[in-house]
Amino acid sequence: MIKAGQIERPKTVLVVDDQEINRDVLEAILEEQYEILFAENGREALEMIRAHQEELSVIMLDLMMPVMNGFEVLQKLREDEELQKIPVIVLTAEREAELRALQAGAADFITKPFDEVEVIQARVGRIIEMSEGRKLISAAERDALSGLYSRNFYNEYASRLFRYHPELRLDAVVLNIEQFHSVNALHGRAFGDEVLRTIGREIRAFLAETEGIAGRMDGDRFGIFCKKQADYPGLLKRFQRELDRRFPDVNIHLRVGVCPWGENTDPVTMTDRARSANSMVRGNYKNPIRIFDEEMQRQEMLKQRLLNDLNRALEEKQLTVFYQPKYDIQCTPPRLSSAEALIRWQHPELGMISPGVFVPIFEGNGLIGLIDNYVWTEAAKQVARWREQFGFTLPVSVNLSRSDMFDMHLEKRLVRLIEENGLEYRDIKLEVTESAYTNNAQAVLDVIRRLRDIGFDIEMDDFGSGYSSLNMLSDMPIDVLKLDMKFISNIAVSETARRLVLLMLDIARYLRVKVVAEGVENEDQLEILQNSGCDLVQGYYFSKPVPPQTFEELIRKEIQTGRTKAE
Amino acid sequence: MTLQELYGNIGESYEHALRVLRVEKLVDKHIRKLVTNGLIDSLLAAGETMDPASLFETSHAVKGNCGNLGLTRLSEAASRISEEFRPGNPRTMTDGEVKAQLDEIAALYGKTAEEIRRYAAENP
Repeated sequence: MIKAGQIERPKTVLVVDDQEINRDVLEAILEEQYEILFAENGREALEMIRAHQEELSVIMLDLMMPVMNGFEVLQKLREDEELQKIPVIVLTAEREAELRALQAGAADFITKPFDEVEVIQARVGRIIEMSEGRKLISAAERDALSGLYSRNFYNEYASRLFRYHPELRLDAVVLNIEQFHSVNALHGRAFGDEVLRTIGREIRAFLAETEGIAGRMDGDRFGIFCKKQADYPGLLKRFQRELDRRFPDVNIHLRVGVCPWGENTDPVTMTDRARSANSMVRGNYKNPIRIFDEEMQRQEMLKQRLLNDLNRALEEKQLTVFYQPKYDIQCTPPRLSSAEALIRWQHPELGMISPGVFVPIFEGNGLIGLIDNYVWTEAAKQVARWREQFGFTLPVSVNLSRSDMFDMHLEKRLVRLIEENGLEYRDIKLEVTESAYTNNAQAVLDVIRRLRDIGFDIEMDDFGSGYSSLNMLSDMPIDVLKLDMKFISNIAVSETARRLVLLMLDIARYLRVKVVAEGVENEDQLEILQNSGCDLVQGYYFSKPVPPQTFEELIRKEIQTGRTKAE
Repeated sequence: MTLQELYGNIGESYEHALRVLRVEKLVDKHIRKLVTNGLIDSLLAAGETMDPASLFETSHAVKGNCGNLGLTRLSEAASRISEEFRPGNPRTMTDGEVKAQLDEIAALYGKTAEEIRRYAAENP
């Protein structure tokens, strides 16, 4: 193992004394442990300090010297932000001078004559140690690239500001670069670094004009706590203008989220909120700034509430599965052929919550897997119950979220459901949205292919809303295409919409897969789809999603009228 | 004459000098320099004009130099002058008394210098 001592830089001491005998004595005392430089007066010392700033560990400074005395040197060092970091030990025989020197910024003093050698060596060693410790802390405190605080220090200082200076009422700002990884990839890391440096410089210049602190939170994300600004869009423009000026040939777009100060807010929450606001304008090149407002706060609180309540909701069966029938329309009259299982949340305090509200929240953090599992289990049990009740099987399709694809127990889970309920694989159909295929497509395709090989039918949900290329589509392991309802809504009134649907039906025929049209609401739409060769439809025309009991009544009614596929 | 003998001849402590300067070589180097660097001559010259700033600076330098060399009597005498002329300190001696102190330093130095020159001649 390489020990820290082996990689320590050599320590250099600058001895400043007009008396050769003093320089010689200190050399004799220190030469075994340190590299030693000499200066004979204050002016010469300052020149040496500037020239050897990086290597100097300590300055040993005589106070009484010609040309420029030690106090003047201390004063000059104090005025320089960088030089003041080098510790100074004053060399003096006068007790009064000691105090004055310490007050002027000296770290310690050594009395002349230098007859206590070990004391001198120990003092020099201790001062160097303390100063290096401080330098380490100082290096960790600042992000070298931007010159702003590094993340941990930024967070700590923000928290202190809020604790000790609540009167400042600081707003939180989170700023980053749109698609910064692309800037790095296209123009190189060095260019990216220069961009970050420029932003750091601009933020520092801004903070020189107002009260606040700033830090580089990570990558291209910067955080600022500053006094309320009248014009945040103007501030963003100012930063953006400088980037445009510095890098005229490259498109670099900043985006900003702001969380204004409010009673009872802490810096961590404010930063989170500014980040949320920031992420809401991701990709919005036209208006890349968002101020956290009440609506966002309401949404955030709802999100937090729902995240907290999910487990209880599952335990207390607040989540219920509704079913929406699918009708085969290629027979007359159309026949109830299957159903789609859809989740509903009857919250004890918030009432019925739309899946459009809670599904995206749980998709964002992987908890959707819990909900999906719940729906699969309920749906499988329901199919088994109806089979027992009515003597035939009505297949039910369930949704598979993108995150489910990365559940290594997915296949096992689904197979067990089929087996435990005595079902066939084709009784549970798996709906996967087209967009789930977009990223990491191969991994998703592999999972779906395996499920299909086992015997599950795969339905591609929301077809037409994603970005599948026709070429890719031909390779996809699917049995059914579900046309997104937005294509259906206008087919009775728009020739273009109708042609588009016809085109998609042609694609399905070419792929030899069946088509389900979603969102069918009226007879005209149904007729067009029937005449165009669409196989199945789903929508309010037949029934909205209903609870299992209501669905049972529907099945009974259809059995009576012979409009089921009862076999 | 050895260094120890030199110190014996001038009535000062070689051990003290060695404790501060650590090596004999440094004692040898700086005791020889005392008679060539003009330090004490500068102090005596300052006494001619009675210029307070020069008196303070030169006596301060002599005090330190001689202190390091273990020349206690010279160092202490120079210290009295430097305290007399330290900026901010009230004067406690008359000019005549200062001159008397300087004469004492000159006499002490004369004797010391003579021995040092002899030592240097014997140890070229």
